[in-house]
Amino acid sequence: MINAVLVFNNAGQLRLTKFYTQLDTSVQQRLISEIFTLVSNRPRSACNFLPLPPILAPSSTSNSNATHNDTPSLVTYRHYATLYFIVISTSTESPLALLDLIQVFVEALDRMFADVCEFDLIFNFETLHATLAEMVVGGVVVETNLERIVEGVKAQGKVPKRPRADAGGIGTVVTARLGGLGSFGRGDGVWMGR
Amino acid sequence: MFEKSLYDLIRGLRHQKGNEREYIQASIRECRKEIKGQDIGLKATALLKLTYLEMFGYDMSWAAFHVLEVMSSSIYEEKRVGYLAAIQSFRPDTEVLMLAENLLKKDLMSSGQNIIALPLAAIPHVINPSMANSLLSELLPRLTHSNPAIRKKTIVTLYRLALVYPETLRPAWPKIKERLLDENEDSSVTSAIVNVICELGWRRPQDFLPLAPRLFDLLVGSENNWMAIKIIKLFATLTPLEPRLVKKLLPPLTSIIRTTKAMSLLYEAVHGIVEGGILASVEGTPEGDELAKLCLGKLRNMVLIEGDPNLKYVALLTFEKIVTSHPYLVSFHQDVILECIDDFDISIRMRALNLVVGMVNSDNLVIIVDRLLNQLTAAPIQTDKAVGQETKQHQIELYGNDSDEEAESIQQPTPAQEEAPPLPNDYRVQVIKNILQMCAKDTYANLNDFEWYLDVLIKLVKACPMVKNTDATGSDVDRSLDISYDIGSEFQNVAVRVKSMRPEATAAAQTLVLIDNREKLFPSFSNGGQGVLEACGWLVGEYASELTDPEGVLNSFLQSSAQLPANILAVNLQAMVKVISQMCSTSTSWTPQRRTFTTLLMGRVIYFLEPLFNHSALEVQELAVEYLELMRLASEACSAQPVSGDGEFMDAPLLITQAIPALFAGQELNPVAPGAQKKVATPDDLDLETPINAELLTILQEADSDAHELEHDEMENFYYRVPAPIFSSSNNNNLPESTASERLEAGSRPDTLSYQHSEPDALARLKARRADRNKDDPFYIPADEPSASARLHSIIQTSNGDSADIDAIPIMALPLSASSENATPDHVAEQRALDAAAERKRKGALRKKIAIVADETLGDGEEAEQEAKAERRVKRSLLNIDSSGLGALSLEGETHGKLDVEQREEEERALKEVERLRLEMQRASERIQAKEEVLVKRKKKKAKAKATEELVEEAAPAEGDTVVKKKKKKKPKANGDAPLETVGEASEAKPKKKKRRQVDLTAPEGETP
Repeated sequence: MINAVLVFNNAGQLRLTKFYTQLDTSVQQRLISEIFTLVSNRPRSACNFLPLPPILAPSSTSNSNATHNDTPSLVTYRHYATLYFIVISTSTESPLALLDLIQVFVEALDRMFADVCEFDLIFNFETLHATLAEMVVGGVVVETNLERIVEGVKAQGKVPKRPRADAGGIGTVVTARLGGLGSFGRGDGVWMGR
Repeated sequence: MFEKSLYDLIRGLRHQKGNEREYIQASIRECRKEIKGQDIGLKATALLKLTYLEMFGYDMSWAAFHVLEVMSSSIYEEKRVGYLAAIQSFRPDTEVLMLAENLLKKDLMSSGQNIIALPLAAIPHVINPSMANSLLSELLPRLTHSNPAIRKKTIVTLYRLALVYPETLRPAWPKIKERLLDENEDSSVTSAIVNVICELGWRRPQDFLPLAPRLFDLLVGSENNWMAIKIIKLFATLTPLEPRLVKKLLPPLTSIIRTTKAMSLLYEAVHGIVEGGILASVEGTPEGDELAKLCLGKLRNMVLIEGDPNLKYVALLTFEKIVTSHPYLVSFHQDVILECIDDFDISIRMRALNLVVGMVNSDNLVIIVDRLLNQLTAAPIQTDKAVGQETKQHQIELYGNDSDEEAESIQQPTPAQEEAPPLPNDYRVQVIKNILQMCAKDTYANLNDFEWYLDVLIKLVKACPMVKNTDATGSDVDRSLDISYDIGSEFQNVAVRVKSMRPEATAAAQTLVLIDNREKLFPSFSNGGQGVLEACGWLVGEYASELTDPEGVLNSFLQSSAQLPANILAVNLQAMVKVISQMCSTSTSWTPQRRTFTTLLMGRVIYFLEPLFNHSALEVQELAVEYLELMRLASEACSAQPVSGDGEFMDAPLLITQAIPALFAGQELNPVAPGAQKKVATPDDLDLETPINAELLTILQEADSDAHELEHDEMENFYYRVPAPIFSSSNNNNLPESTASERLEAGSRPDTLSYQHSEPDALARLKARRADRNKDDPFYIPADEPSASARLHSIIQTSNGDSADIDAIPIMALPLSASSENATPDHVAEQRALDAAAERKRKGALRKKIAIVADETLGDGEEAEQEAKAERRVKRSLLNIDSSGLGALSLEGETHGKLDVEQREEEERALKEVERLRLEMQRASERIQAKEEVLVKRKKKKAKAKATEELVEEAAPAEGDTVVKKKKKKKPKANGDAPLETVGEASEAKPKKKKRRQVDLTAPEGETP
């Protein structure tokens, strides 16, 4: 199952945290910062699987049965424009399918806010959570179909429009699209699960 | 006052560069105020802001009750905020959870789909066992809700319920199964069920075997790759239980592998074949060979695909699974795997590294190790400074947002970093560990060339990463953190196990010990690799006779040891003396030159040892003191021994030629298996329980309290009693010893000390008096009286009878070779040599005949291994959900009538009933007892108490047999001796009940297929 879904930007600023097992807030933050250290060190062409962060790593004395199905053993991430999407999961999830899942998540967001960018996610905190809740409940994937996800979120109410920068206020609106949407995953489609 | 919306908060945050922290604190204060108000809308807004800030680590547990308030709002948007806050901030120990229960139930029964979805999503985050049970009845009807979105979420929520309270799965499972078997069910619901079963599957695979046909149909018929992946994963856990599945699964899986366009499905198919043991079960058949070829070929291609490191990674992951059962199959693909060892991506490297350990054999060992070694030596060692820089660079700014703007420019990774980065230290350690592991595997089974190995070991020392926090005084260095200790023990292993290599191993150790080589062989600018000196120190000492340059070794010890950590220093002290004894014990004539040389040597060692006698580490101190005395003695002996003149032969002092070497000579040390010591049987007559002196404790206490009392008295006397004036006044002539003149001509008074009287008896008396006065003064050390400790000692000794006869302590002879025939070192070595020879013939490779000594042990090593395994109990990891209870739950047990939940409730009810009866009984018997006489009453009370206790015990699992209980209730009222009767009855009832309980326990097991 999926243990946690995280979204943060290139500077490590959080945009979404969702833990499917309850953790202390301080432990959550430590885990996040460890993952950020790992992920931000990776060159762009590296693979999308992280080694386990120290806080999750099995203690050196008990590495004998590290493949136990209940322990989080997989940290998968994808990097879109300014954002990192991270999924922590156990070995019952398929690593390649998880990458696709992140892709679906981002595509769903892209549908919700035409040409989604980090800015949308900052200000539409609730919609971000709602979208994830349509896909994953209690750590189990419940929906992977793009249309149904978008439909599900929209059924809950209007998705707010992007708050257009009120003039001088936020002059440098970040509209770096989480693009490369097509180019990164869908385009080459080597390991698409769908 | 203006209220801020979340939008305002975020905007404000974006404007507050540099002082976000203050801004957030201020905002939280505002929220605190807002949330306490009456306006529910305002509360919701404040809560949403708090939830947003919680993401950055700002605790909001204090707002738990307000979360609940907002959750119960009638407006959907507000309710949603409340639920989101609950999901993000509630922990299992949040107290208001109890209050949330009714709200959750109410919302689950709501008619609005959106509202139902809220508790469904929230329950997995907040559930606890007591809630699980009561929410179940509201959740179950949702399984048949008209909206598939509700149905699939309900299924997942039921799964999370089962994780915390497995019993809930019993009523839920048939309904979930019904959904799965319904062919008209919505595809995404089916897919969600498969996901849930996949999670449950590995816990109790046998319960899901009956579903195999349906799952198989889904696998073949469905177009949904997501679901197919999960089904394959599920089948991988089922096939080990049902071998017939293998045959059934093979065609669809192979066809998926051949035809699918989705790489993830292809990968999972291959992975499933490996993981499910299908590869192993068809092994040997032509079909199986083809399958293996197909799978491994696909994996190989995945590694080779350009530009997709993810495939490379997962392929290596699967190779790792295969390698445990089929190392030879994997080693065919050695070429591509070895490429991955040098991959720039550390994740891939790690995987490849783990993989090569498994696939190593005598042919590829050298290639692999050399490759890894090159990697280590080529990259610079990460220094402390670099580590610091790195962490600083990646310090996270948790709030604020300044980087958004520059984000695009950050996107491009700086190429400079990719060039030749220093290897991370943990990776470095891992590589070294794996090299050692590969070479030492099966007691050096793969190793042909030990000289090469020693060379590798020396090179590895140079590649050791820096070790933190080793202070020179700390005697308890954590060895597991310093890889160089492992390298050291490999030197030791080779020298001890491979006798033919002993000179070479000792020579290698010598080169490491020699101080002139320190620069060259150890990592520069760091303390890495130091741990190897411990084993090397031991080696050069133990095999001092093999040394080519003992003098150099000794010099190195004398020059460098003092700066080393205490544990190494201690070893070096031992070794130093061993080396000296080796150098001095030659049987040549005791010439003046030799005498000068020897005394000089001793002098230097004494000079070195002297400052160590108060070293902070106790072991060093002890050794230093011992050897200091020894060296002084030896030095004296040398100076005292007459030297030979010209030509004539004189013996060297016996101390240095015979006595000192004898200290270190003896049985040769052999490797002993880790568990062997534990297997040495305890002699029957060895009694470790009886105290040697049963009185010891009392004696000590007495001594203690006596001293304390007396001391106390003295103190009291000193401070509180007015001393009698000795010389009251000069004019008081009545007193006998008043005047100085009188005292001067003393003599008549025998007790006073006089300058004239020096008779021994007077002195003795005086002494005795002084001793008497001081005997309880703890700070007074008497000159000739036995000291307190000596007194204690003598007490112990006398009560022990004769002084301990050390020779009488039995020492058991260890018939190591006799008791473990098949583990005799020589035998094993022979066997190994034979095996090796056979292998050599087969392969046509040349291998020097090397005898390797295996571990000595008693019996077989299984026991010890088991113990070790038991010790290695897995610590529960973070983010882990404890679902151990689920594994014990049998889903097939539902046929035997009542649910456990109901049963338990009934038991509770029965318990209450029993308690009530007991009270009644007590009251009744009290009434009776009041009439009886005191003595009898007391007796009866005891008996009755026992009886009631037993009753409670017995009735605990009661299943509706209140008839018996009623009888019991009546009896105490009827006559006085009823309690005794009930005892009889209770014990009669006992076996019956027990039997019943047993049946209950075994029934589900018996019914499982």
